[in-house]
Amino acid sequence: MRLARALVLRLLFGLLSLVFLSFVTFVADELAPGDAVTVLAGEKASEAEKARLREQLGLDRPWPVRYAEFVGKAARLDFGTSYYGIKEPVIDILRRDLPMTARLAAMAIALAAALGIGLGTVAALWENRWPDRVALTLSTFGVTVPNFVLAPLLVYVFSLQLELVPQVWSPVRTLPDISYLILPVVILSARPAALLTRLTRASMIETLKQEFIRLAIAKGVPPARLVLRHALRNAILPVVTAIGTSFGFLLTGSFIVERAFLLPGIGRETIEAIQQGNTPVLQACILVTGAMFLLVNLIVDLLLPVLDPRVREAQV
Amino acid sequence: MRARDLFFWMGVGFLGFLVVLALFGPTFRHHYLERVGLPFEPPGARFWLGTDELGRDVFARVAYGARVSLTVGLIVQGLALVIGTVVGVLGVYAPRWVSNPLMRFTDGMFAFPDILLAILIIGVWKRGMVPVIVALAITAWPGIARLVRTQVASLRHREFVQAAQAMGASTPYVVTRHVLPQMVGLLLAVSMVELAGTILAESSLSFLGIGIEAPDPSWGSLIDAARVNMNAYPLLLLWPCLILSLSIFALNFVGDGLRERLDPRSR
Repeated sequence: MRLARALVLRLLFGLLSLVFLSFVTFVADELAPGDAVTVLAGEKASEAEKARLREQLGLDRPWPVRYAEFVGKAARLDFGTSYYGIKEPVIDILRRDLPMTARLAAMAIALAAALGIGLGTVAALWENRWPDRVALTLSTFGVTVPNFVLAPLLVYVFSLQLELVPQVWSPVRTLPDISYLILPVVILSARPAALLTRLTRASMIETLKQEFIRLAIAKGVPPARLVLRHALRNAILPVVTAIGTSFGFLLTGSFIVERAFLLPGIGRETIEAIQQGNTPVLQACILVTGAMFLLVNLIVDLLLPVLDPRVREAQV
Repeated sequence: MRARDLFFWMGVGFLGFLVVLALFGPTFRHHYLERVGLPFEPPGARFWLGTDELGRDVFARVAYGARVSLTVGLIVQGLALVIGTVVGVLGVYAPRWVSNPLMRFTDGMFAFPDILLAILIIGVWKRGMVPVIVALAITAWPGIARLVRTQVASLRHREFVQAAQAMGASTPYVVTRHVLPQMVGLLLAVSMVELAGTILAESSLSFLGIGIEAPDPSWGSLIDAARVNMNAYPLLLLWPCLILSLSIFALNFVGDGLRERLDPRSR
């Protein structure tokens, strides 16, 4: 069956990407100046001490062996322990940070999809009239104004001047979580929403020109049903693919908003790990973030044949 | 004059201003690292944009940010253009056993989220301008390579290229004299838009505290520093945000305008 073959191929490609990702992460550490031994043994350790520790940790073995071990451990979610602090297992750090990043990303992608598809549809229905102009101007701003400019701007207006929402996240919260997260989510969704608006608009304009729409109008299909059931269902497919790719922008953005709003997530952990030279944590964070990106794109690709019978028929 | 043309020329004017600012601004009135006044002086005749929390001239620091952005942006785009063009041409003209793995590798790099790779490279290496340039160049070339490949693949079968080949011209000659010159306009236009992306990426990294190292300022680190005193001195936040946003707008308008002017097919 062709569909099954396509799905298996897609899964294999996902797996291959994951291997590529793990390899890049591993190589990056290999090329880095200094290794675990320099950190663990301290600056003053003698060469003999370092060599012994290196042997203990198995760092004297050839790199393919160590890469296999790295992958094997990572597959069992064993990323080693943090170099600093209480030397806690990296997986515990990830368990603590991942929910925040995942929550932000899920909320932002939902908002971006709703805004993008909504605005894009409105723009297409009133092509070249004022609703279209407004949507296009908004999306131009969304694409060009960077999120680390948007973040302080919105904080200044909505937290400091209007005092509607708190300025930053805090461990002790007096308000429901959503009031702390609303600004980060809006900022995070700005760029994907803008891109999805443009794409929906273009795809919708294209769809509205087609024969079957003219036929539906001639048949007397009510306007709301025409737009939602006939046009949007067909126009939305490239948009769904784009939701997957725009997840990449979300990752970039999550680093920014987690710093700007002091949110305890993977992005903030990554930056901290870099500043401390905490390689195991950094590697794990990059792996997990990359894996999230791959997973979302995999889900999107698997969703397409469900949404579109034509894709089901024509899978290659 | 159409609105698009107006935006194009305004963009060109702004970029010209940015270059002058980057060349002379950082030391024009005051040195960008020296404490020349009291902290948080308001904008005025002596300090055009006021002073920061240490009494340094904000105008000089914003101007130095322009220098950082343009230096990083131009070097990264230059490297990306060279690597991307070579890889893209090889992807069409090299034997299959070279071009296939090369293009698969390019696709893999292209799909990889840029910021992750840049953060990884900087994370395990070190901070500063050189690592930022290397990291951003490594993430920037695959886009160019894919564009060049599709363009070269379509130009390859055009009559004038076939004619040159039929007259016995060697492949390197055909590529450099007939194929690549056709793409100069398009590449220039794309580079402008990509330059905006690179400047944004550099500012993002500096905002995150892993880009240009203090005390040297970058627009990203200026924004990050100004957030601390946002309530009392919001103006400090305004200048780097404003100049960064304007630069991104200008580069996008100039890029679109150039494409329209230099690439006849897009008209």
